[in-house]
Formats: sequence, C-alpha cells, structure tokens
Amino acid sequence: MSTFQENLKPRFAILGGVIIAVLLVLLFRLWAIQVLDGREFAVLADKNRVREITTVAPRGRILDRNGVELVGNRVTLAVLAPSRAAEDTEMLTKLSALLQVSVPEIKERLRSRKEAALAPRVIALDVPMSAVAYLSEHSVDFPGVEVQAHTVRQYPKGSLAAHVLGYTGEISENQIASEDFVGYDPTDTVGKAGAERAFEGVLQGDRGRRVMEVDASGQPKRIIEEVNPEPGRDIRLTVDSKVQAIAEEALQRAMQDARADGFRNAKAGAAVAMDVKTGEILAMASLPTYDPSVFLGGVSKEQWRSLTGTASAYPLTNRVIMAQYPPASTLKAFVGLAGLQYDITRQWQVYRCEGTWTGMGAQWKKRCWLRTGHGPQSFMDGIENSCDVVFYEIGHSFYKEGGERLQKFMREFGYGALSGIDLPGEADGRVPDAEWKKAYNEDYPEYQRWNPGDTVNISIGQGDVLSTPLQVATTFAGIANEGKVVRPHVLKDVLGSDGEPVLSIAPEVTFEPRVSKANLAVMHRALVDVTRSGTGKSAFRGFGPTVAGKTGTAEVAGKDNLAWFVGYAPAEKPRYVVTVVIEEGGGGGAIAAPAARQILAALLGQKSVHVNAEDPSR
Amino acid sequence: MNERSILSRINLPLFAAVVLLVVFGSVMVRSAVSGMDLGEAMFERHLLGLAIGVGALGFAWVLDYRHLRGWVGPLLFLVLLLIISPRIPGLGATAKGATLWLEVAGIRLFQPSEPAKIVFIAMLAAAISHYKGRIDSRREVGRVVSLALAPVLLVIAVGDLGTGMVFLVVAAGMLLIGGLTGRWFVVLGLAALLSAGALFGVNEIANRVLERGPYDPAYISATDKASTRDTSVLIKRYQMNRLLVFVDPTLDPTGAGYNLAQSRIAIGSGQIAGKGLGSGTQGNLNFLPERHTDFIFSVLGEELGFVGGVVLLGLYFGLLITSLEISASSRDLFGALIATGVLSMWTFQILENVGMTIGLMPITGIPLPFMSYGASFMVTNFAATGMLLSVWARRYL
Repeated sequence: MSTFQENLKPRFAILGGVIIAVLLVLLFRLWAIQVLDGREFAVLADKNRVREITTVAPRGRILDRNGVELVGNRVTLAVLAPSRAAEDTEMLTKLSALLQVSVPEIKERLRSRKEAALAPRVIALDVPMSAVAYLSEHSVDFPGVEVQAHTVRQYPKGSLAAHVLGYTGEISENQIASEDFVGYDPTDTVGKAGAERAFEGVLQGDRGRRVMEVDASGQPKRIIEEVNPEPGRDIRLTVDSKVQAIAEEALQRAMQDARADGFRNAKAGAAVAMDVKTGEILAMASLPTYDPSVFLGGVSKEQWRSLTGTASAYPLTNRVIMAQYPPASTLKAFVGLAGLQYDITRQWQVYRCEGTWTGMGAQWKKRCWLRTGHGPQSFMDGIENSCDVVFYEIGHSFYKEGGERLQKFMREFGYGALSGIDLPGEADGRVPDAEWKKAYNEDYPEYQRWNPGDTVNISIGQGDVLSTPLQVATTFAGIANEGKVVRPHVLKDVLGSDGEPVLSIAPEVTFEPRVSKANLAVMHRALVDVTRSGTGKSAFRGFGPTVAGKTGTAEVAGKDNLAWFVGYAPAEKPRYVVTVVIEEGGGGGAIAAPAARQILAALLGQKSVHVNAEDPSR
Repeated sequence: MNERSILSRINLPLFAAVVLLVVFGSVMVRSAVSGMDLGEAMFERHLLGLAIGVGALGFAWVLDYRHLRGWVGPLLFLVLLLIISPRIPGLGATAKGATLWLEVAGIRLFQPSEPAKIVFIAMLAAAISHYKGRIDSRREVGRVVSLALAPVLLVIAVGDLGTGMVFLVVAAGMLLIGGLTGRWFVVLGLAALLSAGALFGVNEIANRVLERGPYDPAYISATDKASTRDTSVLIKRYQMNRLLVFVDPTLDPTGAGYNLAQSRIAIGSGQIAGKGLGSGTQGNLNFLPERHTDFIFSVLGEELGFVGGVVLLGLYFGLLITSLEISASSRDLFGALIATGVLSMWTFQILENVGMTIGLMPITGIPLPFMSYGASFMVTNFAATGMLLSVWARRYL
C-alpha cells in the first residue's frame, strides 16, 4: 500500500462525514415535511385538485287557487363583468351603450360587496341576442365580460297580487347570518317579501353539487361526487287571480271616484276578500303597487329610493296587513255587540240623537256626524244609520262601569293582536286602555289619565284605536261565522312533483269571543239593514245577494277622511267577507262600498259592475 | 492480468446500487410521463438513454484511466470546447431560455455540459495527482485553482450556473483528497464568499448603470418566463428570482415560487406511505412542473411517501459509501481523485436536487442522478460509474 492512502485517511473520513451529513439533513427534512406536516400538505393538495360547483335548483312556482301561474321561472341571458371592470371607464361606456344600462348603475352592480371578491357580477339581464353577438365578436375589447344563461323569476300576470307574491333578491348579509338561512350560499336568491319570503323554505330547492377533480389549468378531469339539484316545490295560493284582478280594478275605480268627488289625495287603498269559514284569502290588493320584476338582477339605488323614499306612496307596503287605521264606524258593530253582551244596551233600546251629545257635561260636547240629529234611534237604527250618539252613550256607560270590558271584548275578537296570516310583516293594531295610555305618554304626565272621552272615542272607532284592514275582515268574518274567528291564510297547498298536494292548510280558529248566538244574530240583522236601508243602501241598490256590512269614515288629523266598507255575503249563509279602505277617499258608503260590491259580485259569480254611490255618514 | 479479468473484478455493491437506482428511477419516470401526451415516446427515449449509458459504462470501465494522467492540457481544452460548443454558430439549440444543447442538422444530440463534468473530473484529477497528495505552495495552488476556475467561469458565462456549482463542489472534494492544506481551504473559502458577494454587488451596480434588468421583487412573477428577453448583466433575472423565492417561499406562490410551493405540497401530501404509484394528484394533474426531470423526486415523495424517500436515500447512501470505499482503496492518487470527483458530483447533485424540492436549496436545473429523465445526464452518470469500476478493477495493478 502506498503511503498516500495512510496520509489521507482523515480526509476520507471528512468526505464520508459530509456524505452522511448530507443524507441525514435530507432525511430529517423529509421527515419534517412528510410526517410532521404531511396532513396540512395533503389538505393543500386536495385544495389544488378538487373544485366544487353548486348547481342552482329551480325555485318553486306560485300558482293561484285554480292553478293559474302567478310566478314562474324563465331563462334569460345575463351579462357578467369582473369587479375590476369598474375602473375601465372606456369599457363601461361601451357596455352602457350596448346594454342600455347607465354607467353609474353598472358601477353600482360591480361594487356589490357580498359576492366573492373575484366572482364576476351580473350587470345586465334580458340582454338581446344582438348585444350578445356583438360581445362575442368583440370579446377582445371586453376582457372578463361573459354571457351566462340565468334563471330568473317571471310574472305572467305582471304586478297582479304583487304584495301577496312578494319578490326575490340576493340573500342579504343579515339573512345569511341568521339561523333561518343555514346552508345558504352568499349568492343565493331568496324571497324578500310576501309569499316568496313566507314560503321560502318550500319554494327554495336544494342546490345540487358537483365535486370535480381538475388539473393545473382548471380543466375538469373526472367527477368525484355529484348530487342533482332538488327543485323547489310549487305552491298554490288561496288567491283567485280573477277576483284579485277585479279587486285591484275596483280599488282603482274607487280612487277615481274619490278624486272625482274632490278628494284629490286619494292615492292609496287596500282591499281584502276572505272565506269566512276557512280563512282563505281570495284577493288581497294594496295600492299603489309595484312591479316585482324590477328586482330581477338587483334593484338600483334610484329604483329603491322611488319605492321606499318618503316622497313615494310606499308602494312596497302591503296595506292590508301592514297599515293601521282608525277603524271608525266599522268598529260600532263590536261596540254594539259588547253592549248587548254586557247588558249595557238592548236591541230595541231607544236613544235620542239631537246632533250633539253632552253626556260627559256641556263643556265636553260631542257631535253626531248628522249635525241636525237622527231623532229617536233604536240600537238597530244606530247601526243602520251609524248614529254616533247611540255609541257615545254605550261607550260612556262602559266607562262609567269601569273595568275596561269594552276593550277586553274587542280583544277577544282579535283586535290589537296579529291575525296570524302566513305573510311576513303583519301589524297588530291597537286597542287602547288605561295602562297603554300611561305607558304611551310616559314623558307627559298630564296626558296619562284615562278619561271618559277616551272610551267614548273608541266607541265610534276613533281616538287611539287602530286596526289593519285584515283585522276588520277577520273580525267581521267572526260575526258571520257564528262567533268563530279563523286564521287568514294565503297558502292553500304545497304541490308535489306530480302536481298533487302534499300539504294542505286546514282552517284554524284563532279567536272565540264570549258572545251569545242571539246577540250575534241581532248584530247580523242590523248589518243587513245597513245595506238595505242604511248608510250602505246607495252602494248596494240592485245587488242580488243580501249583504251584511258596515260603512266607516275615519277622521284623520290633517288629512281627508278615510273611507271604509266591510261586508259579508250572502247574508243567509255567509261565505265571503270583503274589506275595502281608501286613504283620504271620503265617505265609506260612497267610495269604499261600491268597490266592495264589485269584489263581492266577483266572488259570488255576479256580474261585476261599478256603481256610483253616496253616503253622508262617517 | 488481461482486460477480461479486469472486467470480472466487479464491485458488486456499486453495481447493485446503480442497478437498483436505475430500476427505481425508470419506474418513477414511467409514472411521471404516463399522463403526458408524448409519454410513451419519452419513456422509450429514456430506455434508449439507458442503453447508450450501458455502452458508455463499459467503455469507461475498460478504458485504463491511467493513460489520461499526462493529458491535462487536452482535457482542459475538451472541457472548454464542450462548454462553448452550443454557442458555436450552427451547433447550438435553445430550450427553456438557455442555449445548452448541441444540435447538428436539426437533430438534437445531447447537452455537452453533462460529459463536460466527467472530463472536468479527469482533467482536475490529472492535475492534482501531479502533486502527490500535498498542495501547499502558492504556485501549486495557483495552478490548480486556475485549472478549476477556467471551466467554472466559462460555464457560468454561458448561463449554466448549475454546472458551474457542480464544478466548484467537485473541485473542492478533489482538493480535499488531493491534499490541499487546511489554511488554503480557509483562504479559498473566504475568497469564494467574497467573490460571491462581489458578483452580486457588481451585478447590481452594472444593472443600474446600464439601466438593465432590474430584479426587484415586483418583477418576480411577470418575468420568470425565461422566454421574455432578459437583459440582466451577470445574474439572470430568473436566477435572482429563484434566490429571492428561496429566501422567502411565500413571496410569489403563483409565479416564481410556484414550482417550490407545488413540489412541497406534492412531497408533503405523500405523508408516510404515499398515494400509491401512479396515483399522485400533484403530478398527474400537472400541478408539478418538470416532474419527469428536475422534480422527479417530488413525484416519488408524493406517490411513495416518506418510505419511498428513505429507500432512495438508503440506495444513495450505498452508492456514495461504496464510491468512497473505491476512492480510498485506489492504488494510485489519480484513481482516488477520479472516484472522489465522481462521488462529490453525485453528493452535490443529490443534495441540490432533493434539497430544492423541499425548499432546502434554491432551485437550479440540476437533475437527480440515475432517477431523472434525460439521456445526456443518464449517459454521463453511467460513464462516471464506469470510471469508478475502472478504478476499482485496477486497484491491485
């Protein structure tokens, strides 16, 4: 052996050490990355290759009680642009001209914060084919702009029953955070109002899911998992589209009549028709109304302002369930029933109307609407002619008796409480009493005391008492239905995929006031007299079926009178109750009653004609 | 003793390690190219490379390396010629932004920088062995360092930093065995550090003065495409980007840091047992770049997991320790130096290649010995194996 090998031994040892060190370092790093952190990298690897796309389930349709489609779906071409397009003024200008959407509006849609930051946003719906063709031919000029087929709501009957149907929109941040919307995507379309919102859970289908494996360029390679979308269920409403159309038309006519009579501010009103036994809503109209299709693809700020601003007449408000008005003389039916029930009055008790009433003392003089006085008036006459003095007396008696039995009786019928209708946003009205007054005037001790005048005012449906048009309908239905107040509802049934009902809504009694059949019969007869020979006579002259009803004319501070009519028919065997209210419309018998007549005619299969009527009462 | 008996003196452990590595590598290459458009053709090319490699191995084995001892000048000339050859008009071919291929009449032959590595080893071994195991005088060091640096500088100048680094490490290993004294190692090490610093400094200044190729991080993702015109003076923009990403892997995970990020995901997600041969998602779905060549280890790590990695490192341990034994048992210093050069080359390539796939080393285009696809590289490593066998076979002569 040569000597160099001996000399170099330590150096070979160094070289061997380097080799071992290199391999050990690599081994250690591999152990760290594969064994210690392996799981995290496995997650990253799956994130690389797995893409999940959800497929939107078609939303259930909304049909009327006869199967007429009120809300359906249609496929439309939508133009989408990436959010960064907001900075590209030149492109926006071109898009604006092409799509007939203003530049600020496009910018607004691009700025929608809810959607994933990079997801393209819809800037126009219902794009004509010519524009689509232009976009595809000049795609170089429109980077990131794409055309997609979108399914949107369609309203074959336009704005008919808009308040019942409601509208849809993109789920809000509040909604997605709430428990009701667990499992929703930030881009989901949900019901925002009306039936769309009330029956969201039924109408909304279950999204389908497709989990795919993609390669580095994003090309799908295979499907790992696929779940087909479950379409939402169709629902059938209790609404009859024919009656609904007539109700809306009748409201319009009533407002025209009012304006012709000099009530120039008559621009809003409401009408509701209900089956007295089942609570099914046959028609529910609120004017002014709106076109639910403006919400497709998102409503612009400007449109939203015109729908909700203080300058608007609040067209989105469903006045039937959300507006609270003084029930005026319509309430006399219940004040009267309470009087009969508690022996404060009797059917043939006679009052004397001098046009003024000084029951609370000369300094608290009150007037009847008929300034000249009705003369001798029986209880029955008091209802028929809506004589205020009769009810001042009854109300005053209730006050003197103490115990607020009048208010309690009204509450038993459902005043001051939600009717329980299956639509969102219902108001509960108000039945004032001493406790309420004290709390209401918390900061004004001088107004906290309950005075005789408070009860007396309630007795003619004025003062602080408030009710929704729907409450007026359900309570009168209670009289018609022998004292049983039913829950109003707009959902008739939920349909299965075969079109057969899988769930039907059964009638439900919500209020059972303690009132005798005999007293109800007395009131029923008095209400029939109203349309026969009383304040409703003019409006129902020549109407076939007998109608039991009551007019009302509410005095609203600073505004023209509000016209009420509520009635049910046929009187012999009541089936439907109709309530009509016209804001600032004048007299109930003259303005509201003809509209109610038109609606009742439609319900009862009569020829629906518009009549002009007069009514001096309030 | 005649040539036949020389062939019969085979170093079985080395032979076994190489055979196992080549089989292992072929299996991995097969898996890596299986999803590619030209996968079948590529695998056939790989097998062709192996066949040529076997020829090269036999040639180097039979060749008596000792004849090369006096050929320092011609060998140096050959190294330099090989390095510069792709730049000779009519001979070079450009791939992936670098002109490293030899092409004649439209037929791509091989990457001359690969055989240059073993010629470099032979050249330096011949030079160093002249000093009989002790290099201490300034003249001796100067000569050896000049001989080593000339090819290094030239290869870096033509844009092949990876081969330059291989040369440097090989030279360092050979100088260790060649008897360079400890103080010279310190001096040369410091000089290397200073040169590296100076290189960056000069590069920076030159770029600024000439207003060319700035490489601030903002440039990273947009300019990593080697095809874009790069006017940087010394350090190419993509090289700088690789260094920046190495320092901070989160810098640009979709651009310059993409390869590293995807490679780490592939290897890490293999966990202990791997996803199974042919079942690597990172590889098969093209998330891994260059998966049959530079990133073959990432495919292995993903599909065979830590277990596969340990097996591979075990085979490399066998290969390198056997090479060390061959080197240490060589009868003459020249043979020992050749063996040392080869094992230094492999050690560095393993460290650099495996290291870059897991973020331990910056990314360079250095493949994994006996594993990566690529005929030039495979043939070179086979020839290197042949040289080792040649040294072993002649240890008693």
